[in-house]
Amino acid sequence: MCVASEYPMQSSRLANMAQDLFSDLDIEWTPVSTGLIKGRRLAGSITFGILFLFVAAGAGFAIYLAPAPWGTLAAITVTLPILALWVWFWFWVPRNQASWGYFEGEKELLIKSGIMFRRLVVVPYGRMQFVDVESGPIASANGYASVTLNTASTETAADIPGVPTAEAHRLRDRLTELGDFDDSGV
Amino acid sequence: MIQESDGNSSEPEEDAQAVAAGPELPHASGAPTETEGSAETGARTHPLSGLVLGLSWGLGVALALSFRSILDGEWIVIAFTIPAGFVAGVVGGYVKWWFTRYVINECEIRIETGPIFKSSRRIPCARLQSSDINQPLVARVFGLSELTIEMAGGSDSSSKLRFLPFAEARNIRSTVLQRSHELGNANTPQPATPSPEDADCDSSSDSTMSVGDSPLGHEGATLIARLAPDRILIGALLSLDLLMALLGAMLVGLAFVVFDIPIGGLVTLLAFAGGIYSIVSSRVFAQWDFTLSRSAHGLRITRGLFDRSSQSIPFDRIQGIEMVEPLLWRRFGWSQLKIDVAGYGDASEEDGVSVTTLLPISDKSMALTLLNELIHEPHPEEHQALANQASERARIFAPIGWKYRWLTRSADTVRTHTGWVTKRMQVLPHRNVQSIEISQGPWQRRLGVATVEIHTPDGPVSISLAHMNADEAPRLVLDEVALARAAMARPTAGNA
Repeated sequence: MCVASEYPMQSSRLANMAQDLFSDLDIEWTPVSTGLIKGRRLAGSITFGILFLFVAAGAGFAIYLAPAPWGTLAAITVTLPILALWVWFWFWVPRNQASWGYFEGEKELLIKSGIMFRRLVVVPYGRMQFVDVESGPIASANGYASVTLNTASTETAADIPGVPTAEAHRLRDRLTELGDFDDSGV
Repeated sequence: MIQESDGNSSEPEEDAQAVAAGPELPHASGAPTETEGSAETGARTHPLSGLVLGLSWGLGVALALSFRSILDGEWIVIAFTIPAGFVAGVVGGYVKWWFTRYVINECEIRIETGPIFKSSRRIPCARLQSSDINQPLVARVFGLSELTIEMAGGSDSSSKLRFLPFAEARNIRSTVLQRSHELGNANTPQPATPSPEDADCDSSSDSTMSVGDSPLGHEGATLIARLAPDRILIGALLSLDLLMALLGAMLVGLAFVVFDIPIGGLVTLLAFAGGIYSIVSSRVFAQWDFTLSRSAHGLRITRGLFDRSSQSIPFDRIQGIEMVEPLLWRRFGWSQLKIDVAGYGDASEEDGVSVTTLLPISDKSMALTLLNELIHEPHPEEHQALANQASERARIFAPIGWKYRWLTRSADTVRTHTGWVTKRMQVLPHRNVQSIEISQGPWQRRLGVATVEIHTPDGPVSISLAHMNADEAPRLVLDEVALARAAMARPTAGNA
């Protein structure tokens, strides 16, 4: 039994299929706001900065207190990983932002994300219970908000971070309207 | 900075909402519920809410501030801290009130909160499960009340409006309930159940159970099964975890005697005893004299040794069923049935596994008969044709288990078979699929496998196929989407 689907799949199977789980889904994904890059870098840098300050203070004490080579060595071994993580995070943010995408299908919302850990979630509009739009100060300063679809299942992890604020409200309103007239199913 | 960012974000927001809420009346504060607030901004709750919220918060703040001073008897300090606490509370309350706006009418339910961390929730009226009005003590003094709106769904699926005049709260409540009834009825042939109280389901009470037909005393219910105490006892004894716990306790006891280990051994022994007791109480005491019967409205379960508890489950609330066959039960042909029930999200945690157990122990044939009665499956043979198995490349993740993972589908249901120590078979009608997810981690990518999950309301049933062939996974997801769509479009409910 083959089921016809609205979502076209490219028939030519690439040799290296394993590399691209969703690439054969021939859909034009809506990307999320690039403001998310700035916002996340800022939020992450604040966190890393505070962490770094604390560790650096500790390292300073270590250099001051411990005998000559060991204090410096210890200071380097604790601060360097944080700096490395910070750098990694800096470059992870745009890659992750680029990996997010959503598509408003006729009857379902599709959300994809991730590069290392890939994920595609399909939520039928008729299963949606309510939609939240949330934004903190950094998010609103950069003009984006997160949209979360809630179904009767808590496993449904259907949140889209970094949707431009106006678009977030439009999406929310459209989703709720579609949800209102579809069968409830719970 | 913060103020500015608030200003920035509110502009596009208002634009978007102005477009969305077309037919609403312009702002008219103090008017009846339907015209409450303008579409763009929404209405605030009663102005005294800030005070009421503040007073209840202020009490906490004041106590926290002056706790030490009361103990030390520094009355001068207290004279400052208590008013300061209340002032802080009231200021907080007013800030919360000022930034909370709502729109509730026949078309939409929307609630916006938060001065800095903004949150805005919109609920389709058809999704409303129930609505309650509460009057906390402080609010009652001012003649105000709290309106709670409940949706089906997992965490924080209820929204509260604090506070509204009682009459207004009642107005809003009846408006939204009315609307949700209308929508529910328009979309589903059988009266959907917007609130659990009037669960006057269901279309299928005419089919009678074939197993066990002796009538039970109360309310014209038909007995399906009454479990003998010995069966429950033996079933509990033949479970691996209880046997392990008993074995562990015996070993510790032996060590206790032989090596004369003092306190440490005793503590370990007590821990084992606690574990054994909790297993026995949930499997034996809670399930004692387990009676399952069927009435026109749904299934009815009575159980318990010390506390008799009784529970009824409307047919249309049953979302999915799981059949469990533990290792030691299989040679006797016994199995257990568990169910996902819509709206049990919290209850299933409260009462452990008990409330989701439909049959604690029974012959497999009877379990299968009951399962087939509850989940309508006209063409079970289709499951053979549409089967997916975990990939052999998943051997690294599950050296033996990969062979025992199947996901099969028919036009009506999706099933999974998993496990080789404890065998589980789960059935979910396509129309109860909440969402579908496919995921792949770096290791899985290297092996060319991916995991497909079908999300269900919280409960024992969770349909997934881990580490299937990545080439087939997107196809499986899209097919399932199409099957779910077809099932939802079908007019008759496939369950019950």
